[in-house]
Amino acid sequence: MKTHINVQNLNAFYGEHQALRNISVEIPEKQITAIIGPSGCGKSTFLKCLNRLIDLTEGVRVSGKILVDGTDVLDRGIEITEVRRKMGLLPQRPNPLPMSIYDNVAYGLRIHGTRDRKALNEKVEHYLKIAGLWDEVKDRLRSPAAKLSIGQQQRLCLARGLAVEPEIILCDEPTSALDPLSSQHIEQQLLKLSERYTIVIVTHNIHQAMRLADYVVHFYLGEVVEHGEASEVLENPKDERTRAYINGTFLTQIKIDTEVNLKGNKCPFNFVYAKQALHNLEPGKVMRVIVDDPMAVTEVPRGMEADGHKVLNVKQINSTDWAIVIQK
Amino acid sequence: MDRHTEEKLFRVLMIASLLIVVGSLFAVIAVVVMNGVSALSISMITQTPKGGYYLGKEGGILNAIVGSLYLAAGSMLLALLVSLPAALALQREYIGKSKAAYYVRLSLDVLWGTPSIVYGAFGFTVMLYLGMRASLLGGIIVLALLQMPIMIRTMDEVIKLVSVELKEASYTLGATRLETTAGVVVRQALPGIVTAALLAFGRGIGDAASILLTTGYTDRIPSSLFDPAASLPLAVFFQLGTPFPEVQQRAYASALILLVIVLALSMLSRAMSKKFMRNIIR
Repeated sequence: MKTHINVQNLNAFYGEHQALRNISVEIPEKQITAIIGPSGCGKSTFLKCLNRLIDLTEGVRVSGKILVDGTDVLDRGIEITEVRRKMGLLPQRPNPLPMSIYDNVAYGLRIHGTRDRKALNEKVEHYLKIAGLWDEVKDRLRSPAAKLSIGQQQRLCLARGLAVEPEIILCDEPTSALDPLSSQHIEQQLLKLSERYTIVIVTHNIHQAMRLADYVVHFYLGEVVEHGEASEVLENPKDERTRAYINGTFLTQIKIDTEVNLKGNKCPFNFVYAKQALHNLEPGKVMRVIVDDPMAVTEVPRGMEADGHKVLNVKQINSTDWAIVIQK
Repeated sequence: MDRHTEEKLFRVLMIASLLIVVGSLFAVIAVVVMNGVSALSISMITQTPKGGYYLGKEGGILNAIVGSLYLAAGSMLLALLVSLPAALALQREYIGKSKAAYYVRLSLDVLWGTPSIVYGAFGFTVMLYLGMRASLLGGIIVLALLQMPIMIRTMDEVIKLVSVELKEASYTLGATRLETTAGVVVRQALPGIVTAALLAFGRGIGDAASILLTTGYTDRIPSSLFDPAASLPLAVFFQLGTPFPEVQQRAYASALILLVIVLALSMLSRAMSKKFMRNIIR
């Protein structure tokens, strides 16, 4: 396995707040590396450091080294436009440029010197095909990109990024704004592309990481707590925090032994009833409690933890109700 | 007062405010049309005045129409040339949130509020110093100075609204700041930039005080930038100031023509904005 991006002692500060702590990680070439972790753990900041998009954010200090093909990305002396060209970015929400579909793909080509009309036409078609969008847009290349659906826009962004011939594709939760079908489409494209590109994907979705990743990095509170082969990290995590994170998101698959509906009960009665219900269970069994009192959402899990039970998940299930999953 | 009555009361107040605004527009048009329509003729817009300084009661105000269009268009282009780069320089990619940008914005706001006669006096002083005569060029430059704060501040506000994500999209493709600004930011902000330019054009075509001393007045159509030029606001002013009712009527007709030009322009901009909005990302 050849390392493509070598991150050494990367630190990032937003003012006083340290967003990244001593990150050292090696990202393998022509594989998909998934970066997982809860919100606010520094995943996106990390991604933005890789192509130095972080420069656009005010009041950020970054230190350390990010070596890509032997060049330190963080070195102020380098030609940053060339580094960025090498790294395509697929954003969280598609961000087409304010121009036609054709011009969106041609934009990058033009700024990097392709002026010949015929060459442009060929490349635009080629990359739209790779992104799986060509058939849908070939008759309306001149219409505004903004008219496309969100899913189509995301594939357009992919085509646009690929057109400048990067070596690395960075994806920041690329499917979080998409419907399931469009998400699937993007995932399939990424899998195909991983034969030729190094892909780094930030995702909230463990299932997505499982489907796509060869290599997994787990971020927690600005630190890398575990990284390694996807199969190892996801199926047999060594770090306690990784295990908790993966279990937390896997909750849909956890067997619920009993379910208690406490809707209409106010605090502290819902807590008392929940405790009574839990009392009848054997240790290790899992109970799901449904509550609709906003106070219970914070108080019941806190009380349960204080009593020594494990709260596996708290999740809003509709506009009024919350589900709290507790293991005795 | 219960909440229901409150709601109703405010509704009435809001609608009344709207009626005052729209009503005053119609009142202006009505007064101008009623007083001026009888003096309106085709010769008004095809001939220059007969008998010096509009006093001949014959001929037209072609000199003023052409002069005003020259002045407004010339100054708008000149101001645009300076204002767009200036507005871009005020963005965070360039001097951005520095103290300097704060003071530049502050001085632009002060300039925006400066009465146009002050610009006229300033222009006049400089022209005297340079030994220049009242001329089209002088008027264009002074009007451009008058328009710049309006343009820069309006553009500044619309360009500021262009989202970071859009700029990021361009930067990640390896674009430079200039490429991003010219290729993406300006495109996205284009409707706003056009609005800013037209706002300035409107100010330019309607201003009398700043050109009174710098462009002068004449019955002839200027043949070079160094000739004095007539203008519509001054044509209205001079004709209205005469003691002759026929000439005063012609003043209203001139005002009507000015009004039509301004209205036509804003209609045109409405129609054009659809085209400019086409590619905008929301």
